[in-house]
Amino acid sequence: MSAEKLTDKVVETDVLVVGGGIAGCPAAYKAAEKGLKVTLAEKSNTSRSGSAGQGIDHFSGTFPRGMTPADFQNQIKGVSRYEGQDGIDPNIRYELHAARDWTISELEKMGVPMRWDDGKFMVIDVAFHGGWPVIHVHWQNVKPIMAKAVREKGVNILERTMIVDLLTNNGRVVGATAINTRSGEFSIIKAKAVILATAKCSRVFEGENPLFWKYKYNYHWCPASVSGDGWAMAYRAGAEVASLEQSGRASRMRDDKTLSWGNFRGWGIESKSLNWKGEEGASGVMMGRRSGQSAAPQPGMNEPRYNTLEHLPEDFKKRIEVAYVDERMVSFIISQQRGFDFRKAWFELQTENRPMQLHEPCGVYVGADFQSRLKGLYAIGDTIYGVHNVALCAANGFIIGERLPEILRNTPDPVLDIGQVEALKQAAMAPTQVKDGTDPVELECAIRYACTRYVGGQKAEGKLREGIRRLGSLRREFLPKLDGYNPHYLMRSLEVRNLMDISELHMQASLERKESRLSHNRLDYPNPDPALDKMILVQRLENGKPVIEFRKLPELDMSLKPDPSWC
Amino acid sequence: MALRDENGHYESQFEYPLWKLIKQIADKKDISYSKASEEAILEYGKGIRYRDEAYYKAEVDKRNKEIIESRQRQGL
Repeated sequence: MSAEKLTDKVVETDVLVVGGGIAGCPAAYKAAEKGLKVTLAEKSNTSRSGSAGQGIDHFSGTFPRGMTPADFQNQIKGVSRYEGQDGIDPNIRYELHAARDWTISELEKMGVPMRWDDGKFMVIDVAFHGGWPVIHVHWQNVKPIMAKAVREKGVNILERTMIVDLLTNNGRVVGATAINTRSGEFSIIKAKAVILATAKCSRVFEGENPLFWKYKYNYHWCPASVSGDGWAMAYRAGAEVASLEQSGRASRMRDDKTLSWGNFRGWGIESKSLNWKGEEGASGVMMGRRSGQSAAPQPGMNEPRYNTLEHLPEDFKKRIEVAYVDERMVSFIISQQRGFDFRKAWFELQTENRPMQLHEPCGVYVGADFQSRLKGLYAIGDTIYGVHNVALCAANGFIIGERLPEILRNTPDPVLDIGQVEALKQAAMAPTQVKDGTDPVELECAIRYACTRYVGGQKAEGKLREGIRRLGSLRREFLPKLDGYNPHYLMRSLEVRNLMDISELHMQASLERKESRLSHNRLDYPNPDPALDKMILVQRLENGKPVIEFRKLPELDMSLKPDPSWC
Repeated sequence: MALRDENGHYESQFEYPLWKLIKQIADKKDISYSKASEEAILEYGKGIRYRDEAYYKAEVDKRNKEIIESRQRQGL
C-alpha cells in the first residue's frame, strides 16, 4: 500500500520544523534563506501562538562579542541556577550565549524591532534572568512579524496542524504524522530532518493558580498549547528525555489578577513585601535575585502576605504600563476590567511550595550538535533540557537553520515504513472511533490531580509509587476511551495522550533520583548526594521497554571558540 | 496605601492612561488595538525618563537603601 492511499495528504520537504514559536520561526527562516525546502507545522496559528503570542517585553542577557568559555564561566559566577552547571551540557549553553549578538542582528534582519525609536537598545543592568543585562523590547507584535518573515522566505506553513508521531526507518527519523485540528485531515510529512521546537510542558499540574511570572491570560489551562508534544513524540520514537524529575516550583500570586512578573521586575526596582497589617517585611520575595529561589516564609511574614508596587515613582509605573502592553496586552485589559490597578493594589502571595510545570531543566536530550539519540531528529530552544528564555531560543533557531545545509548534505531521501504509517494512523485516529467516551479535559484533570497530589513540591517514595499506580489505572481505563468527537477534541485527546506519557516519565524520574537537588525535593532524601553531582537523569524506550539511567554531563571545553560567522 | 471599598476589594472602575491612548488611536485610525499600541507606546514613552540614567540610578539606589534600612530595623 502506498502512503498516499493511507493519508489525506503527503507533504515532502527537506526540513520539518515542529512548532512556530520563538525558536521554530528563526529555524525555518534561516533554513529557507539557505535554500532548503522547509515546512513549518504549527498546532495553533503561527501569528499568535505559544507563550510569545501576546508579546514579549524583554530580551534577557547580552554578552560581549567573541566571549570565550573563560569569560562565560566568569560571567555566570554567582548565578545559582547556572553556576553548578547541573542542568545542561555547558558547551550547549556557552554556544547559545556566545551567539547572542549575531542573534540580535539576525532578528533585526527578520524585521523584529530590537531598538527603541531613538535607534538605540534599551539596556538595563538588573538582576533579571540570572544576573545579566536585559534589553527591553516592544514586541507586542513579534509573532505576526516573525510569521510574515517566515512566509515571505517561502516556508510552507501548515497552520492548525498538530504533529502526532515521528516516522522512523532504520534508526533514522524520516518524517511525521499530523492531523489538522480544524478539518481532522490526517497527513504525513516526509522530511530529511525534523526540528522539534515545541517548548516545554506546562499541563501536568493543577492549573488553578497560574504561573505568576508569565502566561497571565487568566484562564486555567495556561499556556493552552504547551502539552509536551515534542517530548512525548521524541520519547515514543526512541529519543531520550532528560531531567524530568525537576518539577518547577515557586511561590505565586494567590489572587492573581493577570499582572506578569517580568513586566515590572525587569525594571530593576524592588517591590514591597507586606504582612496583613501593611508592615513591610523582607522585600524581593516576588522580585529580584531572591525570588524563585525559595518560597519559604520569612520571619514576621506569615500568611496572608502581600506584595505591592504602590511605592514606585510615577515614572516607573508608566514603564510597567508600557511593558504590560508589550508583553500581555490582553492581561492589561482584563486587569482593568476587573478593577485591579497594579499601581496601587496589593497582590496576595501564596507561599505554599507547589509544582507548576516541567520547566527549565527538563527536555529532550541532545548532543552539542542539537541532535537527539535518533538520527535526523533535532531539538531546539525550550524543547531541550536546560534551555529556557527567548534569547536562547532565538539563537538556537538561527544556529540550527545556519547548519542545516551542511547537516543535510549527505542525508538520504526519506523512505517510509508503510506498516508503521498504518499503525500510527490507527493510533492517531482512534479517538474518532469512540462514541460517548471520556472527555479529554476530564482525563487531563485526573492526570493533573495525580501529579499535584502524588508528586507535589515535597516528594516521597510512597506517594510516588501510589501516583504511578493511579496513573497506570487511568491509562488502562480511560486512555482508550478518549472521545475525539470533533477535530478539536481529537487534538485534545492526542495532547492528553502526550500528557499521560510525560506524567509517567515525571513520576518515574522523581522516584529514581534519591536525593534533593534544584527543584526536585525528596522528603525521604532531603540532601544532595555528592555522587550525583553533574549527573542528569535520562529516559528512553528501548525495544518498547523504558530505560532510565544517570549520565555524567561533560565539562565546559575551554578550548571552544565562538563561531566566526557570528562574531 | 490604596483604599479598598467597604467589602475590602479593589473593585473600582478605572482606565490605565496608556489604554486610553491606545483606544483613541485605534478608533481614530480604525485599526486593531495591537497595531495602535505600537504607536501609543512610542507616544506614551515620550513622557517617561527612559534615557535619564542618573534619575534611574537614584531611584533604584533610594529603594535599595529603604530595603536595607527596613531589614536592619527587623534584624533580618
